[in-house]
Amino acid sequence: MIVQIILLLAALGALVYFVRRAHNVRIRASKRIAFFAFIVVNIYAVLRPDDMTWIAQQVGVGRGTDLVVYLLVVAFVFGMLNTYLRQREISNHLTDLARTVALRDAESANRDRRLVRDRADRPL
Amino acid sequence: MDNDDTWVIIPVYNEDNVIAQVVADLQATFRNIVCVDDGSTDGSVAQIATTAAHLVRHPINLGQGAALQPGLRYALARPGGRFFVTFDADGQHRVADAARMVDTARSGLADVVLGSRFLGQHEGHRVPLLKRAVLRLVVALSPAARTMRLTDAHNGLRVFNRTVADQLRIKMNGMAHASEIVSLLARSPWTVRELPVTIRYTEYSRSKGQSLINGINILFDLAVYQR
Repeated sequence: MIVQIILLLAALGALVYFVRRAHNVRIRASKRIAFFAFIVVNIYAVLRPDDMTWIAQQVGVGRGTDLVVYLLVVAFVFGMLNTYLRQREISNHLTDLARTVALRDAESANRDRRLVRDRADRPL
Repeated sequence: MDNDDTWVIIPVYNEDNVIAQVVADLQATFRNIVCVDDGSTDGSVAQIATTAAHLVRHPINLGQGAALQPGLRYALARPGGRFFVTFDADGQHRVADAARMVDTARSGLADVVLGSRFLGQHEGHRVPLLKRAVLRLVVALSPAARTMRLTDAHNGLRVFNRTVADQLRIKMNGMAHASEIVSLLARSPWTVRELPVTIRYTEYSRSKGQSLINGINILFDLAVYQR
């Protein structure tokens, strides 16, 4: 069945997307194109359900609704991956930021407690 | 005092019961102590302020592993540090063990000295059975720990010399930082030695320590990390 090949390719694509860490301009652009294509297909599927059934039969799925569900799963997986990677990136930035703040505050706080000497003083 | 070239780094998260005592015990041997508070919600910060330990505070809770890195950074920025000790805040480590490990590092026999609760012949029996099983499993499943013939991959007591501390980049936030350190060491040219240490399993540390459930978290983090 053709649909199996398509779905396997999608799963493979998701894996490659997950493993490849560099997110360059091209990937970002293709994500946006994919999003708009998905919307267009959705509108089309709502307006002409019979056409979807025809396409579904061509690729080896029984009904048009089934095909839409399959595509939804693929889109969902990509969406989740995207969110996960983004969230991990933000968390890394947050860690870096918090560490910087912590170290900067510690210098002045410990100087106030007279644990750290000013640079002018002789080092310990 | 002859440990002036040594900095002790203590990651602290909600330990106001014991932290002041832990610092006081250390202070008899080590003068330079930095506590890294990981956004504690109890009186830990106030307790640390009563001691002579330096304090670094995370503005938000980041996880235990995250506290080691800024502690090392802070200690490295102070002049004169040659050896850097990581020490748990709950009082499970013995100061004498830390001092012995620093002496080993100072003698030049190793760049990194790790504490192991399983090395001493009779010591292993003191480790609660379930905990021993989890820790053994973690070691068995970690290729890095196997390569280096480590017996205890999750001991919080470690000594790094300045070169190592300078180059160590701990990224992981959670408990997996211990596995991360081990695999960083495995891929490094540094010589690593394990020394037997005694863990004091008090009621307090038992209630706070790594549970079996946390063992699952460690294994999961480990699997993802070694992808």
